[in-house]
Amino acid sequence: MTQAALRDTSVDVFEKNQEWWWAAEKKRSTRLDYLRKAIWKKGAIGGLYAPGVKVDLERAKLHTQKAKEMEASPDPFVMKFAKILAHVLDNKTIFITDQAQLVGYTGSLPHTMAWDPSCASILNEEAYNDPTAIPDPVDENQQVIREICNYWIGKSDLDKMMPVFDMEDLMKMLSGSIGWGVPLARGGYSNKDYEYIMTGKRAFGDIIEELDRKIDEVDAEVHKPGATAETARMYDKLNNWDAMKITLEAGIRIAKRYARLARIIAENFEEDPQRKEELLKIASACEQVPAKPPRTLQESFQYDIFIQMMSRNEAIEGAWPSRPDYYHGPYYDKDVNIDKTLTKEEALDLVGEFLIRAAEVCQFKPKWTREGLQGIDGTWVWTMGGVKKDGSDACNDLTIAFMQAARLVRVANPTFSFRWHPKVSDEVMREIFECIRQGLGYPSMRHDPVLIANSMHWHGHPIEEARTWVHQACLSPCPTTKRGYQPMRMANATANCAKIIEYVFSSGFDHVVNMQVGAETPDVATLTNFEEFFGAWIEQMKTIFSILVRAVNRARMLAPTLTPRPFLSGISERSIESGLDTCEPSLAQGNAWITAFTWVENIDSLAAVKKLVFDEKKYTLAELKEALAKNWEGCEEMRLDFVINAPKWGNDDDYVDDIMLRCLDEAAKFSKVLKCPSGNNWPILPENVSGNIHYANIVGALPNGRRLGDALYDGGVSPGPGLDKNGPTAVLKSCGKIDHITGGRAFLLNQRLSPTQLADEKGYQLWRAYMRTWADLGIDHIQFNMVDDKTLRSAQKDPEKYQEVIVRVAGYSAHFVDISRKTQDNIIQRTVQGLG
Amino acid sequence: MKCTECGNVVPVKDFRYLYNARIDSSISIRQCTKCETWLAVDELNGVVTQAVGAGEAPWGKSAGIEGVAAA
Repeated sequence: MTQAALRDTSVDVFEKNQEWWWAAEKKRSTRLDYLRKAIWKKGAIGGLYAPGVKVDLERAKLHTQKAKEMEASPDPFVMKFAKILAHVLDNKTIFITDQAQLVGYTGSLPHTMAWDPSCASILNEEAYNDPTAIPDPVDENQQVIREICNYWIGKSDLDKMMPVFDMEDLMKMLSGSIGWGVPLARGGYSNKDYEYIMTGKRAFGDIIEELDRKIDEVDAEVHKPGATAETARMYDKLNNWDAMKITLEAGIRIAKRYARLARIIAENFEEDPQRKEELLKIASACEQVPAKPPRTLQESFQYDIFIQMMSRNEAIEGAWPSRPDYYHGPYYDKDVNIDKTLTKEEALDLVGEFLIRAAEVCQFKPKWTREGLQGIDGTWVWTMGGVKKDGSDACNDLTIAFMQAARLVRVANPTFSFRWHPKVSDEVMREIFECIRQGLGYPSMRHDPVLIANSMHWHGHPIEEARTWVHQACLSPCPTTKRGYQPMRMANATANCAKIIEYVFSSGFDHVVNMQVGAETPDVATLTNFEEFFGAWIEQMKTIFSILVRAVNRARMLAPTLTPRPFLSGISERSIESGLDTCEPSLAQGNAWITAFTWVENIDSLAAVKKLVFDEKKYTLAELKEALAKNWEGCEEMRLDFVINAPKWGNDDDYVDDIMLRCLDEAAKFSKVLKCPSGNNWPILPENVSGNIHYANIVGALPNGRRLGDALYDGGVSPGPGLDKNGPTAVLKSCGKIDHITGGRAFLLNQRLSPTQLADEKGYQLWRAYMRTWADLGIDHIQFNMVDDKTLRSAQKDPEKYQEVIVRVAGYSAHFVDISRKTQDNIIQRTVQGLG
Repeated sequence: MKCTECGNVVPVKDFRYLYNARIDSSISIRQCTKCETWLAVDELNGVVTQAVGAGEAPWGKSAGIEGVAAA
């Protein structure tokens, strides 16, 4: 839209046409409008980075330079690593965006993606091989990247890990057919001990004092006359505490550099008195945090950003577990309601900017990650609402401010997920509905009572700890407490479950990667009844899950020594107390889960085989095996038979729903056989992100009628697109048959609603009634798309005009134009449910 | 099968299979390996129904009420 057209059209007209993005642009403040437009699009478009976004060579050079310098140092590895991190923080370029009130970025410049070359050589190769992301001059910088890549061969975390893994498991996992990700403590989803660090009781300076006390005590202890096994272990603790201290001190120093920069600009260059005052306020904030606890909302947000920035310099973090209304809410209350030092409008600007600062965060990632998370850099799913530790409603004024700010800045990342419980007010529910109605695709809704009970059932978290939960990634709840928080969820325990049913037909041989991956179950053509067939399915399921879990368990055991996290340990009570790395399994309750990508394909496939092969005997397993081997080529009538004449999940049909329950029951039983290094269970969690597209060319033809190349279902326990033909209540009833406490860790459910039907007060009441049914059935998750076909097809045709249209992809949202055509079509083909 | 854009005639399976965004329809998207046009193909009858451009929906409307309303 031209500037003139934007100026001449009223907000009312835009809202009437449901062009929410243009309305937001007119409604937000000048500052927010500037800041929103000043950030670069970091999420990959399909699998490729946007033009102009470049790999940050500065960080890679600093890291490599210091690592080389320290090669001959006698320091233990954890100390070397801490010093490298401190070197990066001390020397990285910093900047302050015009009009910003918050500072801090992972890269050296706004358009850069931080690249940590010490994580994995396979990542480094991608930096070298992606000329569009290499900064100018490309040839010269490609040479620099090559030198960095060469240095880290054999030294990166993954290279160090490989020799100590089971090589057969590793090859199967890295084939890319059954898993997603690598088992590294510096690459995945990292929660934080927010109850320790974010409650205003302490900050880095206090922790450093505590570390000094610990170091002095233990140093004195080890030098007393006598020697025991415990004194021998104390040297490692001293090293860990020293390393933590080094990183925390570096964190304070970089904050002070920001303070100095803000002061220099204010006192020497800024002519606008108002901006000068803002810069001095930034300086004051950065002098306060993270050294000392925040005093104001601005400082509280700033503190959070610094923690995230430092943690993301220590590791590649693909998620942002957070509960911002809960932890920052008291500062909002103090500034806006008690001290009245901020107006609501000023606070809204700060909240909006906090979202924008998070939206720009980016670290260079491999292409398979980008394809699986199209349109975003990682899953920044921020947790809102819920209950406090005593069970009372935790919603506050900041909860509402976040919803309002989200509608103004309309970023696709972070998104919100709301912990619903029966005490949530109508005012908050209306704010949530307004976000969904305005097409953000978020908040997703989580059933708090169910998920608290679920955390207690699966992992034994005490109720007060379970009530602190945040989303560790897209869906999985994880407490933010000393023992409950999980320092790193390694993404490779992500099972491409469609392979389970595929391998039943190939006796575990994977024809896409051409290797034996699954179990060598009998030739499917020799199976004589459904129970035998289902038995083969169970064996394949157990085999795939075991390969992935073994790798994560091994990596988790090795993490404290091979891939330590001194900064994350330094903000974790259990590490401060024990002197052990925060990834040490014995310190943790254990909160592991297997993400079950592409799960429902199994259910629809098993139902189709049961009905058409064993009940009706229309086809033999040999005929079906042959049709699948041919990718249904020349078998279109038979394929349609398997799609149309077999029951499908999501229609309240017990025939297929009972199969879902049997499969979940088998998985749940096996989840208790599998144990993490902390001794806890490995429940499954069906969801997809955009793995349904990533795996489209990896999963072969299936008995549900899918061909190699077709998008898989959109995930979790969502019915196949267009296959839920009995209306929204039938979908809920099918999902409600699952026990969402004992059946698995969580279950993603996508639903698409009509923006026309839900346009006004009647629409809100329809949605509320629908949500009451959802709550009554005890379903743990649901999320909505509310954008019509016409808008989405128009966006395909004229993407420039629809840059800001947001859709819910899976456990995250993305701008529609940033996802591939196949993903776009997959979303459009989801059934639009009518309510009422 | 004949490509409607360049006239290339080869068996259906030799048109590159891309995807079938709607599993319960026999219309799929294939690509002519000669002119690289995306084509909507009726798999039951082995014929091209149309070339597929940006924003075009050879599968028709979404399932559900939005589709009913628009029909």
